[in-house]
Amino acid sequence: MADEDPIELRNGRRNKEDAELDMTAMIDVTFLLLAFFVVVSKMDPQKTIDLPLASVTFNVPEKNCVVMVATADAETETFKVYKGSAMNEADLVSLDDPDLLEEEVGAYVEGEFSLHPTKEAVLIKGEGDVRTGLIEMIKRGVNLSELAKSRKIHVAVEEK
Amino acid sequence: MSSTGDSKRFGFPDDDIGPAHDSRRAAIEYDASQQKASDSSSEVSYKHMGWKGIDEPPDDDYEPEMGIQKREPIPEDDLDMTPMIDVTFLLLIFFMVTASFTLQQSFEQPPAKSDEPSTNVAETEEVEDDYIEVLIDQNNTYYITTRDVEELEAPSDTEMRTQVLDAKSSSNATRLIITAHVDSFHRKLVAVWDTGLLAGLQMEIKTTEEDY
Repeated sequence: MADEDPIELRNGRRNKEDAELDMTAMIDVTFLLLAFFVVVSKMDPQKTIDLPLASVTFNVPEKNCVVMVATADAETETFKVYKGSAMNEADLVSLDDPDLLEEEVGAYVEGEFSLHPTKEAVLIKGEGDVRTGLIEMIKRGVNLSELAKSRKIHVAVEEK
Repeated sequence: MSSTGDSKRFGFPDDDIGPAHDSRRAAIEYDASQQKASDSSSEVSYKHMGWKGIDEPPDDDYEPEMGIQKREPIPEDDLDMTPMIDVTFLLLIFFMVTASFTLQQSFEQPPAKSDEPSTNVAETEEVEDDYIEVLIDQNNTYYITTRDVEELEAPSDTEMRTQVLDAKSSSNATRLIITAHVDSFHRKLVAVWDTGLLAGLQMEIKTTEEDY
């Protein structure tokens, strides 16, 4: 007992124990962290949409919706309308002519609904700084689609 | 031991080592001897006499290992549950995250009514039941028109909210007509819509290009 106290343990007995440490738990934790960061980094592009806040909300599964995204740059007062939630540059809708915009939105919505007839609604994700008129234009564009007439229009918000 | 210990404890110069060094070693040795003395009263002394303590397995049915036959079933107590629990939590977290992000909070809104944004439709509609009208102008200011008050100004969201809720409770209004200037913020329209839902009013949206 007496000869096993601190002086003896410094001679490297602990090191032998360390070599036998089970790595499984450490690997598990590492995977956990990995998964966490993968998830967090994927959420970021969605968070960049600054949705308006509301207290009374309903949940709608995004998978079942044809999504339109409207973003605003508050400083330059410029707006962008995307077809689909991916927000690719290729999916940008031209804002030069309101009539063309409505037609393009209508054609996209019509195409999506004929491709995926199970989709139930149109979801418009508009940032808070987007002008009401632009959202209204998108809605009128949706109205041009025959398949959208029997479906609902949802406006995305974020819970307060 | 005890005689040398004693001599060192008192720092007698019977050694070559300096007095400071000497006294420290003496102190350690003294402690060790003390500990031994206290241990000797309990199990340690028994172990010296062949007693192996309670926690050692009994020797009676101990069989020496014989070459190939030494395979023994792993005791179930030795199974480490930690990795399984870790993986389970991992799966749990994964499904929780994916489940919560497929849902988007939203309002259902009626489709746009006319191709031309204008308020002219409002006058043609018959207004037999009570209604509240909220106007959002180009500067994002709210004006609330009720049966009693005409165009009450509400600069902030909270004021608009209280005024609409007051108007709803003081009248039997069932409808909320939202007229938004095309240059007003979408956020403001959503705030009014939210209030209307909260008050349980039937809503319709109109847009206008007229400045106020």
